[in-house]
Amino acid sequence: MLELKDLYFSVSGRDIIDGMSYTFEKGKFYSITGPNGSGKTTLAKLIMGINPVSSGSISFQGKEISSLSITERAREGIAYSFQQPARFKGITFRDLLAIAAGTDDEAMLLALLRRVGICSLSFLDNPVDAKLSGGEIKKIELATTIARNPKLAIYDEPDTGIDLWTIQPMVRLLKREQHEHGTTTVVVSHNRAFLEAADIVLMISEGKLVYKGDLTDALPMLNDLSVCNYRKCVGDKDVGCYR
Amino acid sequence: MLDAIDKDLLKKVADLEGLPKGAFNIRKNGKLLKREVSANINIESNADGSGIIVTIKPGTINESVHIPVILSLAGLYDVVYNNFIIGEGADVTIIAGCGIHCGSLEPEGHAGIHEFRVGKGAKVKYVEKHYATGPGRGRRTLNPTTKVFLEAGAAAEMELTQIGGVDEANRANEATLGPDSLLLITERVLTEGNQKAVSANTIILAGAGSRANMISRSVIKGDSEQDFYATMEALAPCFGHIECDAIIMDNGRNETVPSLKARHPDAALTHEASIGKIASDQLMKLMSLGLTYDEAVNRIIQGFLK
Repeated sequence: MLELKDLYFSVSGRDIIDGMSYTFEKGKFYSITGPNGSGKTTLAKLIMGINPVSSGSISFQGKEISSLSITERAREGIAYSFQQPARFKGITFRDLLAIAAGTDDEAMLLALLRRVGICSLSFLDNPVDAKLSGGEIKKIELATTIARNPKLAIYDEPDTGIDLWTIQPMVRLLKREQHEHGTTTVVVSHNRAFLEAADIVLMISEGKLVYKGDLTDALPMLNDLSVCNYRKCVGDKDVGCYR
Repeated sequence: MLDAIDKDLLKKVADLEGLPKGAFNIRKNGKLLKREVSANINIESNADGSGIIVTIKPGTINESVHIPVILSLAGLYDVVYNNFIIGEGADVTIIAGCGIHCGSLEPEGHAGIHEFRVGKGAKVKYVEKHYATGPGRGRRTLNPTTKVFLEAGAAAEMELTQIGGVDEANRANEATLGPDSLLLITERVLTEGNQKAVSANTIILAGAGSRANMISRSVIKGDSEQDFYATMEALAPCFGHIECDAIIMDNGRNETVPSLKARHPDAALTHEASIGKIASDQLMKLMSLGLTYDEAVNRIIQGFLK
């Protein structure tokens, strides 16, 4: 349902995304992981149209979307949950949720709160401003993404600022959305809980897709990426070549 | 008595559909149009006829008074001096506002000088909206001044808004706070075209335990210009905060100068100020929810000035 073909994103002559090709299947749960600065968030932003593609193509449900604006991609059914969500002055959670859902009907907004597991009704009228904690704003970000009823939902590090006890319920929520609404889900994360939840783990290193498959086979590479190793890489099968 | 233009202006500046209930004083083109008093709220003209004195009896709770001004007379610059005396323990809302309809090349303007004396333990909410409209190209000027004196334990919440169409505004807000009193001022100003607005504020925290919070939100479109000056001076153990944010669009210009003066060692004064364009992360978030760029800009401005 989403096809990346020979995708490049370059800044000042440096390829941040370096010739990536991959096809995401409808209704699957993908986790994208890899070292810091490897290009995970950049790839997610290319799909949403937040960063412009330098070359290559992005096709969504058979339609070329690489020249479409963020708005047009949102209207095609792609939703995006930001790693560092925007904070506003004078805009409440209710306002954002109503924009996302396309309705300010109280009953429908309350149904959305139930769907995303927010139990406090008073939370709805909280301003989405700098006073919110990191965890609160991430819940709002998740809720507004889900409220779009997206065909493709991209979550960029949804666990940032979330306490440990909330991560598993969050994973369950995204899995439920995947199963009940057929949402193709892409989560950028370092967190093992999201990697375990994925049908397919994608690993990115230096702007290249270096692994696609299940978590078990990815673990040796992930473990190797977590330690310092300055030796030269030897051959394609050496995990040291992918740091 | 109220023509279509009057009704439109009253709706814009005071949210009124026709005449209000309770005490009110409507001034049109420099003259009294209609006045009503209530058992607890008296309104009378001052000695030289240049304005009104609104007296609210001590203990008056949950009552409101409307005092809108409407102008639609070419060449008129209307100056009015209004005094508000709010009795001890009262809790009232005052809805002011000035609407100008300009139909010619001649200028029109209004200067409302409002002085509030808020008695011990009394609370007042003051809502003032300024708006100008009309097909005429005459210059529309609104120069409001508010002076607030808060006695011990008194509280005033002031919402001051200029919602559009005003070519020139020189706003002045002054306040002196007694012991344990509270002042919250929220000023929202939108300018566009070649409009200019200046807001000068002086808040003196004179009483121990007094608290003041001044919030300014400015949106500066087109080639317009807004300047904001706020001085908070503490003479006693107190808390004061100034928060001024300006969003610049197009070629707008802004000068913001918050000033804090602590004349007492236990004074706690803070300020935060920002000037800039709409943050790109805000625009991207709203666009990712399906709004176009222009819809996202309007939504952010609407919230910012809400």
